[in-house]
Amino acid sequence: MKLDKAIEDVHEAESELATQLRSVGERHASEADLYHLGHTLARQCAEHARRLAPFAERYGAAPPGGSGMTQSPSVLEALRRTGAKLIGKSEASGLLLLRDLRHLYLAAQNAEIAWVILLQAARAVRDPELIEAATECHEEAEARGKWVRTRIKESCPQVLASG
Amino acid sequence: MPDRIADIWGGRTPHAAGTPWPVRVDRYVDEGVAEADIDWVQSACVLCSNGCGMDIGVQDGRIVGVRGRASDRVNRGRLGPKGLFGWQANNSPDRLTEPLVRRQGQLQPASWDEAMDLVVEKSRQVLNSAGPLGMGFYNSGQLFLEDYYTLALVVRGGIGTPHLDGNTRLCTATADFALKETFGSDGAPGSLTDFDHCDTIFAIGHNMAETHTVLWARVLDRLHGPDRPRLVVVDPRPTRVARAADVHLPIRNGTNMALLNGIQHELIANGWVDHAFVDAHTVCFERLERIVMRYPPERVAGICGVPADEIRAAARVIGTAERLVSTCLQGVYQSHQATAAACQVNNINLLRAMIGRPGCTVFQMNGQPTAQNTRETGANGDLVGMRNWQNPDHVADLARIWRLDPLQIPSWAPPTHVMQMFRYAEEGALKFLWIVATNPAVSLPDLGRIRSILAQERLFVVVSDAFLTETAQLADVVLPAAMWGEKVGTFTNHDRTVHLSEKAVDPPGQARPDMDIFLDYARRLELRNIDGDPLVPWGTAEECFEAFKVMTRGRPCDYSGLSYAKLRGGSGIQWPCTDGQPEGTERLYTDFTFNTDPDLCEDYGHDLVTGAGHERKDYAELNPAGRAILNAAHYIEPNEPPDDEYPFLLTTGRTAYHWHTRTKTGRVRQLDAAAPEAWAEVSPADAERLGIGEGDLVRVESRRGRLEARARVTGIRDGVVFAPFHYGYWDASDGHTRAANELTMTVWDPVSKQPLFKVAAVRVTKLADAGGTPSSAPTTTASEPLIEGVPATAGGEGVRERDAQEEQ
Repeated sequence: MKLDKAIEDVHEAESELATQLRSVGERHASEADLYHLGHTLARQCAEHARRLAPFAERYGAAPPGGSGMTQSPSVLEALRRTGAKLIGKSEASGLLLLRDLRHLYLAAQNAEIAWVILLQAARAVRDPELIEAATECHEEAEARGKWVRTRIKESCPQVLASG
Repeated sequence: MPDRIADIWGGRTPHAAGTPWPVRVDRYVDEGVAEADIDWVQSACVLCSNGCGMDIGVQDGRIVGVRGRASDRVNRGRLGPKGLFGWQANNSPDRLTEPLVRRQGQLQPASWDEAMDLVVEKSRQVLNSAGPLGMGFYNSGQLFLEDYYTLALVVRGGIGTPHLDGNTRLCTATADFALKETFGSDGAPGSLTDFDHCDTIFAIGHNMAETHTVLWARVLDRLHGPDRPRLVVVDPRPTRVARAADVHLPIRNGTNMALLNGIQHELIANGWVDHAFVDAHTVCFERLERIVMRYPPERVAGICGVPADEIRAAARVIGTAERLVSTCLQGVYQSHQATAAACQVNNINLLRAMIGRPGCTVFQMNGQPTAQNTRETGANGDLVGMRNWQNPDHVADLARIWRLDPLQIPSWAPPTHVMQMFRYAEEGALKFLWIVATNPAVSLPDLGRIRSILAQERLFVVVSDAFLTETAQLADVVLPAAMWGEKVGTFTNHDRTVHLSEKAVDPPGQARPDMDIFLDYARRLELRNIDGDPLVPWGTAEECFEAFKVMTRGRPCDYSGLSYAKLRGGSGIQWPCTDGQPEGTERLYTDFTFNTDPDLCEDYGHDLVTGAGHERKDYAELNPAGRAILNAAHYIEPNEPPDDEYPFLLTTGRTAYHWHTRTKTGRVRQLDAAAPEAWAEVSPADAERLGIGEGDLVRVESRRGRLEARARVTGIRDGVVFAPFHYGYWDASDGHTRAANELTMTVWDPVSKQPLFKVAAVRVTKLADAGGTPSSAPTTTASEPLIEGVPATAGGEGVRERDAQEEQ
């Protein structure tokens, strides 16, 4: 049984996603929805890690590492926000935004598939508690990717077809 | 003869459940005008979404008064203070009477030709350089259906930009979205008469005593009747509605979602769910149950800051109701998790099978008088005629009616919401913005930012309005518009009642109806359809209405059985009104079949936490097929929780005497005198801790700006500060410290995109002693002072209603 690996993969993917949600939100702080929802969803990543903690112990996985789950260092956040103010008044920010959202989409998809893998493994080892936790977290993981997809679809015409 | 400034709701006419609401005709006319000299012209009130039927009194080409229409189903003759007195704004000496064009930095008089040629020249420049996505249009909740429909055709069909929104985004976007999410389409399921039948009312975030004064008079007549309905109220302020409640939950603002999940927890845990109805007529109960069962009253009490037993008591009243009307407004729509929470109010009625029957409904209330029409015509964030922008058949059908290539109509994404349009303007992508009959320089959040966007050289701003508002002062071109009473048209209230409003008088000077201005613009821009004919085929309001009827045929908002002739005399009529239902339709969904068929529905829905848009395949998988959708979500933390630096929660709102940014009501002496200045409400405990007494000058500061006003100490929840959002700068001397929106945040609901005005962190400091002068905030409403001796709000000279007999 290698469920520890699947759990560690989820931890890693969620941590990476949380880092990106914060940094994209802060880098594009003039996009108010990205800033606020980015931070809300980064907190959701931390909640997911908490939800997995008992299973990490049960299956001998390493506890979540990385700094992504916690807040951005305040110096870094201030720097990104200042940068956001500067580029936020220029049309050039649109292309940067699309690039960052594409990377964010991939990070969200990476976390989503990590949950799929863990859920499949949980089913195979017939762990009803892990099945419940992974099902609910996967539902939220799917919504995150779909949100980034929606945001990209709404933003790209303005960036690419105008001017 | 009541003083209707002092007595906002007028005399009682109590009645029992199921009996008709008695008639009471309210009227107010200028002093010295004899009844015999007045010509009465049919209309309805445009000072809230109740849309009370009224007649406009005219003498010698001038409006001299109003009276309620006894025959109208909405108000049975009654009018509120804004309706009784507000018409005087039409006669203001400072109406805009000629176009203005900015020259050498100054707005100067110009002819219509000069002004419109400039608007068209700039439009062409932007269309050539940036394309349709460089153009934006932001309209109102104050125009008529015909104005909106013309604008929607010109912008969505002619110019081909998705950047068209209404200020209804600030008031009822969440109502619209919550109805679409749950029932498949917009449109209030019930009727105002359901208040006459119900035995229980659940009002959350809806201070109807001030926002809908005639509706509150209707409810008061039941509360004073022989079979008083029970009343559960959720509001952090001691509103008149809250004071009348059997259970009042003054929750911490921003926590509606937790409370509503908790109430549903109790409904399920206590067996107050009609499972046969839920099984037959809804989908997604299992997911809802899984989520809300995590919200036992003790947990909810901790989040919301109210006792668990009070939550249980509220749930018991709702759970044992036999005829339940639930209603919500800005306390939900402008607060954290707006659409998610509004959907839970729908859920509560669905779990209890309280819909589609007399006395059983849910009201996602509107705010503005014609908000419903922005939604129906597609002048806001919807596609025209409650069509689904993601459904290619709907887009093609619209293109067929409009004689356009379907590709011309933007349908790659939902219509752009106003906060996003301002963001595009901020980054320079939007270069032309036409603002119609609304005042974003006072009504949008974070005003410092809004002013800086509107003042940019690279943004060309056109404003059409009746007055030189704070926004118009920042414009490049200002166009003088006719007001209500100066043009003919229709509009629809929050229970789908359509009214005709006739032209009573000519507009002043060169002011013109908004529809005529848009027709002129389309003609000068030479907008054409696929046949090469002029895009807009109508020239009068009635012709526009006839075209609108064709466009709505077969859609949920079917107007095909209505006409101006039919709307003349008698009462307003509720849509759908068709050949088969010629008298209109009092209640939707009476057979419990909802508009959730994927071919019919107006929207495929969203994830309530993120706003991620569902697509047709998701909807097909959900397979609601005529069943209502029980949407569920967890409570999440608000975006800006109070902290050591900013320890208070700000909420903004309304008073009974003012409308929006006081553009009209501030020019009406009785209404202005009733609430002449901004104020800030604080609780006694907070006031004591800060050393603040009644009337002291305080500064309320957020991370974005500051407000300076006299304090009013009220029974508001501890830790919460309230400020009215009405006050701007057109009648202020200097500075930017009078508008509550200096403090609010640039943040919106992920689904409805409605800005959130009800949750921001602030700090409060005392600036100066009152010196014996109390705040001038009204004493008759939620802002009632706690200390004795504050002069009562009253009308003084010339505010008493006069009845016809008295004059004869």
